[in-house]
Amino acid sequence: MYQYDQFDHAMVAARNAEFKDQVERRLKGELSEDQFKPLRLMNGLYLQLHAYMLRIAVPYGVLSSRQMRTFAHIARTYDRDFGHFTTRQNIQFNWIKLADTPQILEDLAAVEMHAIQTSGNCIRNTTTDQFAGAAKDEIDDPRPFAELIRQWSTFHPEFTFLPRKFKIAITGATRDRAAIRVHDIGLQLTDKGFDVYVGGGMGRTPHLGHLIKSGLPGDKLLSYLEAALRVYNRYGRRDNIYKARIKILVSALGPQEYARQVEEEWATLDQAQIDAPHAEIARIKSFFPQPAYAEKPFDVASLERAKAADAGFARWVRNNTLAHRRDDHVSVTISLKPTGLPPGDASSAQMDAMADAADRFGYGELRVSHEQNVILPHVAKADLYELYRLLDQNGLSSANVGKITDMIACPGLDYCSLANARSIPLAQDISQRFADAELTDKIGDLQIKISGCINACGHHHVGHIGILGVDKQGEEFYQILLGGRADEQAALGVITGKGLSAEAVPGALERLIKLYLELRTDETERFIDTVGRLGREAFAGALHEPA
Amino acid sequence: MSLLNSSHAPQLVSDQGEVNVNGWTLLADDDALGVDQAVLSFGRAINELDGLNGRYGVRVAPGDDVRKLAPFLSKVALIEVAFPGYRDGRGYSTARILRQDLGFDGELRAVGDVLRDQLFWMMRCGFNSFLLKDADPAGAIRHARSLYTHAYQSAADGLKPVWALRHPA
Amino acid sequence: MKLLTANRLTDGLVLWYVEGSDLSGWTEDAALATRLEDEAAALLLDEWKARETEVVAPYLVPLIDENTLVKREYVREHVRANGPTAGQTAFDTARQHQRGEVF
Repeated sequence: MYQYDQFDHAMVAARNAEFKDQVERRLKGELSEDQFKPLRLMNGLYLQLHAYMLRIAVPYGVLSSRQMRTFAHIARTYDRDFGHFTTRQNIQFNWIKLADTPQILEDLAAVEMHAIQTSGNCIRNTTTDQFAGAAKDEIDDPRPFAELIRQWSTFHPEFTFLPRKFKIAITGATRDRAAIRVHDIGLQLTDKGFDVYVGGGMGRTPHLGHLIKSGLPGDKLLSYLEAALRVYNRYGRRDNIYKARIKILVSALGPQEYARQVEEEWATLDQAQIDAPHAEIARIKSFFPQPAYAEKPFDVASLERAKAADAGFARWVRNNTLAHRRDDHVSVTISLKPTGLPPGDASSAQMDAMADAADRFGYGELRVSHEQNVILPHVAKADLYELYRLLDQNGLSSANVGKITDMIACPGLDYCSLANARSIPLAQDISQRFADAELTDKIGDLQIKISGCINACGHHHVGHIGILGVDKQGEEFYQILLGGRADEQAALGVITGKGLSAEAVPGALERLIKLYLELRTDETERFIDTVGRLGREAFAGALHEPA
Repeated sequence: MSLLNSSHAPQLVSDQGEVNVNGWTLLADDDALGVDQAVLSFGRAINELDGLNGRYGVRVAPGDDVRKLAPFLSKVALIEVAFPGYRDGRGYSTARILRQDLGFDGELRAVGDVLRDQLFWMMRCGFNSFLLKDADPAGAIRHARSLYTHAYQSAADGLKPVWALRHPA
Repeated sequence: MKLLTANRLTDGLVLWYVEGSDLSGWTEDAALATRLEDEAAALLLDEWKARETEVVAPYLVPLIDENTLVKREYVREHVRANGPTAGQTAFDTARQHQRGEVF
């Protein structure tokens, strides 16, 4: 993975010194809360329902075991012993003291981490495929370009006070696991350069991104992004926070007109001063080699014996591993969705255990996925059973990846000051209702995504089943969306049926699933395919209790 | 009792930390042009500069397309870029366009809600003077200059992006 | 009737305003919050809005009667007063105060 040089270290140290000074000025009263707020937000510090919440960047979701141990240390020392992995491939801690933050940022800097630009109206953490560099279907590795964007966007002087936050996602595989069509800018790396999608997003007015450029060479990426951001910075709406994202600008201008303005702006830029030279791209690429693969003799028969002897292991191998570019390795997803617990949470002991697992079986490397799980991208098949046992001892062996209980859920009204309704208790109820492994596997691939408000941090628009919490005259209600998907066939779900109370949701999902199992052609037809074939109206009736 | 730093009256300070007296006067659109060092509104500048002699100041608001000033820049000695609120970042693009696209080399001044924590970004975008709300304007400039010795990207100042330092030509 | 609540500047924790014969000030325990008359509450709010080096984002929570929040605020304020309902009960504020729920 990328390693800091003297410049990267100096940059983070300077920011930490600046923020330390700002915290001191705030505590002394030289800065008002109104003035301090955008400054603390630029360093990932929110004031939430119960306390300050610190969001730490995991650049493009890539993490070393040492960095994971630092998260464990932060959870133990400064927080209440757990952290929450987010849909932005980051981690957040819920009970941070303002006065502790300068020290926490120093602890992070020691392992080449920070909380820079994890909030605020700036360019946020670039996200990518959690299996980058490992997946069999990869065309090119997106991580070096994500790092290039990280550096270019860090402290970009022109784009620190944009109309609204700005999120970029990149994928380099044929399967889109990075949800690029619902990002402000989505980049598809192909063998001919980048396809650029602009104006996707969720929230109050969801949009799918429009393709505005094909075949953009990697060595022109930064100057093109600079032009795209400048047009947005100048003309994006600032009069209404709900209309300030780039999707609104792109849809008001039309994608073609927006693209034309970007080309025009691009032509005025001194591109040679903006685009990093080939030598720099090559330097960054050199940090992302394939690991020094261990040549471990792998015996199919012994794996099969272990699977036959341990049904839990067999199921875990089936659901939680993905084909690797090498036949003797797989990528392993550690599900953070155990039955009845908050999706995406991990205790400090679990973080340490995942770091140990990475050191012993995964070349010291971990990833965070936007589905709020943790990935070991490279695991020798010969090590699978031992790895499984280590994870199992730490409550990390849930074998439900990609299944109905592998839900995305935002923190909701249990933590978030913007939320209208709770997400986590609902996710817990659903996971208990579908806890039966056999039933879960029979249902097959199904993504439930839950947001506690219209801002859509829980990606409800692109869940096969999306659940949106709303406030209806002081009571929590949940709207059900059907038919959304975030992959290469991205589609936005549509609200189906009437809003339900929290108690009514699990039962409604049960009826929905029962109907799906009756209607599907066979077990290879996934829920989303059946909805696509029959239309979501065919399922609307099942959401409500029969009269 | 603590004192909010931004409650101090704005003072004019250069990017070198010299505190100066502001000799420029912002004219209303129906004011006569006779005064020395007059700052015109953007609309008035576009409409009238063509027929004027001498050198003027122009006040640019966030929504103004500063490229419309291009034909008249030889008559412009000062451009004041207004920041009506701290969080309105359009002025940063305005400044870079002026410096890097239009080649404006006169005084580029940030006015309005200008606080010490914005100075670093503003200097990078090409501002060289500030109507700054701060108890210690010279100290604020010094502080902003001392914070970051490097930058990841090129902008309108002299800092080379770190990739240029990593790969000297 | 109203409750006055805010977050402490230094650690961000939720605070409730208590007015008593021998002490007036902030407590982390929502059960102790004083039920304030509307006018007194408004004055206190103005006072604390200005005291930004002590608390952040003070506001008033309306009550229907002494123990009932207006419906619109119920879930949010219930969660603020008792801690997350999400099952991290070991860290639950209510438990720290050895009590069930307030409101």
